[in-house]
Amino acid sequence: MLTTIAQAVVNGLLIGGIYALVSIGVTLIFGVVKIVNFAQGEFVMIGMYITFFLATSFGIDPLVALVISMLALFFIGVLLQHFLIRRVLELGDMPQIFLTFALSLLLVNIALLLFTANYRTVQTAYSETAIHIGAINVPLAKLIAFAVAMLLSGLLWMFLHGTDLGKAMRAAAQNRDVAMLMGINPDRVYCVAVGVALALAGAAGSLLMPFYPAYPLVGQIFVLMAFVAVVLGTLGNITGALIASLMMGVAESLGIQFVGADSGLIVVFVMLLLTLALRPNGLFGGWSR
Amino acid sequence: MRRFVSQGGFWVGALAAIAVALPFLVSSTFAIDIFIRVLLFAFIGVAWNLMGGYAKQLSLGHAAYFGLGAYTSTILLIRYDVSPWIGMLAGGIVAMLASLPIGALCFRLRGPYFAIATIATAQVLMLLFLKFRDFAWGAEGTTMPNLGDAPLMMQFDGKAPYYYVVLVLLAVGLAITYWIERSWMGYYLVAVGEDEDAAEAIGVDALQIKRNIYLVSAFLTALAGTFYVQYIYFIDPNTAFSFNVSVEAALVSIVGGIGTLWGPVIGTVLLEGTSALLQSWLGGGHGGVQLTVYSLILIAVILYRPAGLIGILTAAYDRVIAGTKRLNKVPLDD
Amino acid sequence: MATTWNSTLAKRRNRRDFLKKSTGAAALAAFGIARKAFTAEPVNIGGLYPLTGSFAQIGQGCVNAAKLAVQMVNEAGGIKSLGGAPLNLIVSDVQSDTTVTRTETDRLISAYKLSAIHGAFASALTLIASEVAERAKMPLLTGSSSDQLNKNRRYTFTPFSRASQFAEAQLQMTKLVSDSPKVAVIFENTAFGTSTSNGLREQASGQGVEVVMFEPYSAGLTDASPLINKVRASGANMLFPVSYLNDLILIIRAIRQNGLEIAINGGSGGFVIPDFYKNVGSVAEGLLGVAHWNHDVNADARKVNENYKKQYGEFLFEYAGGLVAQTFMIADALERAASTDPQKVRDALSTLDVSSGYAAMGPGGKVKFGPNGKNIYAHPVGVQWQHGDLATVFPKEDARAPLLKT
Repeated sequence: MLTTIAQAVVNGLLIGGIYALVSIGVTLIFGVVKIVNFAQGEFVMIGMYITFFLATSFGIDPLVALVISMLALFFIGVLLQHFLIRRVLELGDMPQIFLTFALSLLLVNIALLLFTANYRTVQTAYSETAIHIGAINVPLAKLIAFAVAMLLSGLLWMFLHGTDLGKAMRAAAQNRDVAMLMGINPDRVYCVAVGVALALAGAAGSLLMPFYPAYPLVGQIFVLMAFVAVVLGTLGNITGALIASLMMGVAESLGIQFVGADSGLIVVFVMLLLTLALRPNGLFGGWSR
Repeated sequence: MRRFVSQGGFWVGALAAIAVALPFLVSSTFAIDIFIRVLLFAFIGVAWNLMGGYAKQLSLGHAAYFGLGAYTSTILLIRYDVSPWIGMLAGGIVAMLASLPIGALCFRLRGPYFAIATIATAQVLMLLFLKFRDFAWGAEGTTMPNLGDAPLMMQFDGKAPYYYVVLVLLAVGLAITYWIERSWMGYYLVAVGEDEDAAEAIGVDALQIKRNIYLVSAFLTALAGTFYVQYIYFIDPNTAFSFNVSVEAALVSIVGGIGTLWGPVIGTVLLEGTSALLQSWLGGGHGGVQLTVYSLILIAVILYRPAGLIGILTAAYDRVIAGTKRLNKVPLDD
Repeated sequence: MATTWNSTLAKRRNRRDFLKKSTGAAALAAFGIARKAFTAEPVNIGGLYPLTGSFAQIGQGCVNAAKLAVQMVNEAGGIKSLGGAPLNLIVSDVQSDTTVTRTETDRLISAYKLSAIHGAFASALTLIASEVAERAKMPLLTGSSSDQLNKNRRYTFTPFSRASQFAEAQLQMTKLVSDSPKVAVIFENTAFGTSTSNGLREQASGQGVEVVMFEPYSAGLTDASPLINKVRASGANMLFPVSYLNDLILIIRAIRQNGLEIAINGGSGGFVIPDFYKNVGSVAEGLLGVAHWNHDVNADARKVNENYKKQYGEFLFEYAGGLVAQTFMIADALERAASTDPQKVRDALSTLDVSSGYAAMGPGGKVKFGPNGKNIYAHPVGVQWQHGDLATVFPKEDARAPLLKT
């Protein structure tokens, strides 16, 4: 019994790392640019296809492809901010949210046109190996994904707290007008923020590839969980999103184990609604970022 | 906007006449099918618009009420032989009841929190209907009994009767909106939508206002749910609580112009009309083309007409009026 | 994996050319037979398949097979009793969506003079298409397995085995692996998953099979490990996943990653299509499944499979293969009805009785519909992944290859 619980917790933490990469991206964009990006999952999908293409055409390992896919997605992010999001910044919530909805629909269907609906997988040496810690079984590909996800989250934290650009980003997030008075160029900051957020989605795509198939709709599977995590962790709060993602991974896994495999999502959503009922701004609403 | 309506009484009458005559003018049942779809989504949009457009509460969970309406009438029909006409009203009442706790939970939330919480409520309902298989057919769903031509049971042989049913629904939705827009509630609603805190400060009970309008919005959405499953002859949780319904309801209003009487109708004509045409031109196997074009149109509208397409129409109308020099008595309420 | 990419690219090119040539009015000229100058009006057949959305992948394969079948009928001289009229397939994308299915079924029936329809792969979609067809008095043939399709229907015909029969076969096959089978059933919470698994649960004790775990899960897994963790705890020696492709890939991989030793019968659905093997690779070798059709059941089926393989680079899978047979059933009915009137085609289908040719190339080798539209001779076969291909191994009279012991 204890082993079963421990195994369930480990499983939940490992997948929670992936949720974290997606949800940190969403929360970063919201924190800085004040837009909820419903298309974030589609950028995970793009990262997966980039990784798949590099792996099958050039034999590049997904972990190496990660660098390329992050760079590519960063670039896409800058373009996205510059040509699309910038133009709706002054509009209300609704056009903003629906712009990202339309973008998500567009990206899914372009992928369908370019790559068809076929599932694509990459087989790596570590795709099916596992290491054993006592009776606990830890799939290697997922462990690597988790470790890299945590590493990237740490690097992001250091970037936001240790560099001038990062500090400017946090300043712009807290008060745009004051930040401008301080001589911060918000356009540049916004571009970097969206770029970094998409790069994280790209990283998630590369890390998923050794154990998850790519297909045009794949992003929507992950984005739902990411959104719940973002809200639980308080929109705009990066630490909050990280902790909430891991919690949700574990809640989902325990829910499947002890309530039923068709109840994992119910548990997660009910958790979300209850949290909002008690703390309308998410679990970490009172915290400073 | 109000000017558009009051002075445009003639145009509304003409539009209504055309709408009523349409099934006689168009012989293709496929065209009528498109009209039914347009009217249905326009109606859902009108219902959503009360909540999302006037009170500016971005609900992305109206599928909850759509589904509750659909399931209530279907259960009554199949288990108890109750006509969907009655089931439709029962479904509306169930939806109103459900809107109370959901509202109590969600109204304290602002902006994106509200939107995501409403998504979650619709998703939870769908998952519950999937999980409890004995309650209402589970994931397998059920088809409607084939009763032939039975108007009393909301089943018709041709398409035209379905068209008139949904036309009446839309007319009712528009009438209610028109009435609310001009009542004291309309003013309070707009005040709450503009700035909730400011409205409270001048003594508007924002919570009360939101709760009332949510009741109306949920009721109307549920009527659409009943009509919809009777029309497609089938219900399952994925259809009844489809996220697409929630998105579509909001989308048509946003594209047309939120918080306006005709916005959802204009938005639906554009979006559903485009998608139906794309589907019939490109539907034959080019996976993805029609939705790619559709989403590009959507992005273009949001970028170039963020206040909705209704702006174009009102501007054009004003120009026509000004051109005929009849613009000597402009109402001041604009 | 590089080969996967290349072959899919090639396939896509093929498909694109194919579609270009056969859309709309140009459809007649599509199959290089226009030069034969048909004097007779073509007979329109509707095909409803999901080409976008979650079932897009299988839908594309179905359309390919349906087109191939029409080409075969036309090359053999079309419908002779109608002056050699060629078949003309009109395909519609139902987008894996229920509303679109309702609209599109209506559109096809009202916009074209159809004689029959086939479709729509997913049970939920087929049920709607069947309701519409029923009211429009348009015959519909389908390979979908939901038993609901045989309730109070006059115009719906199901030439292949039903969900309840699948369950029976799958349970009997446990004896190939173990004398005291303890089965864990995990099924996606969809129409397909619940109807198939209900059949399994109801018939298990009758077949002497103990079900130690019966677990629905929400389709669209992010991670199958928690589910596999639960299977391990149940002490089962055999696993029946009832899943579509994506979840199935995750489940099979999670079993490997977690080092769980368990026999697997993957049923039908996403398990018996070429993409399953492409995605899980050699891990698939030796896994068992069931199917309403397989490409090795007889010489005709093998011949069609060779043709399909030449054009699309992969074997003809269950649902698509059944579709070829269905097209020939429609042709047979048209031939006997000597009319394109859907009512007469329906009547001719209800008296269909074939035991040879492409129309009869399914398990059982015969087709004759009972009053509920069910083919009275239909039964499923047990299949096994062997060397990247699917071989029929069960029941004995249908087996075309010896069981591969794993």
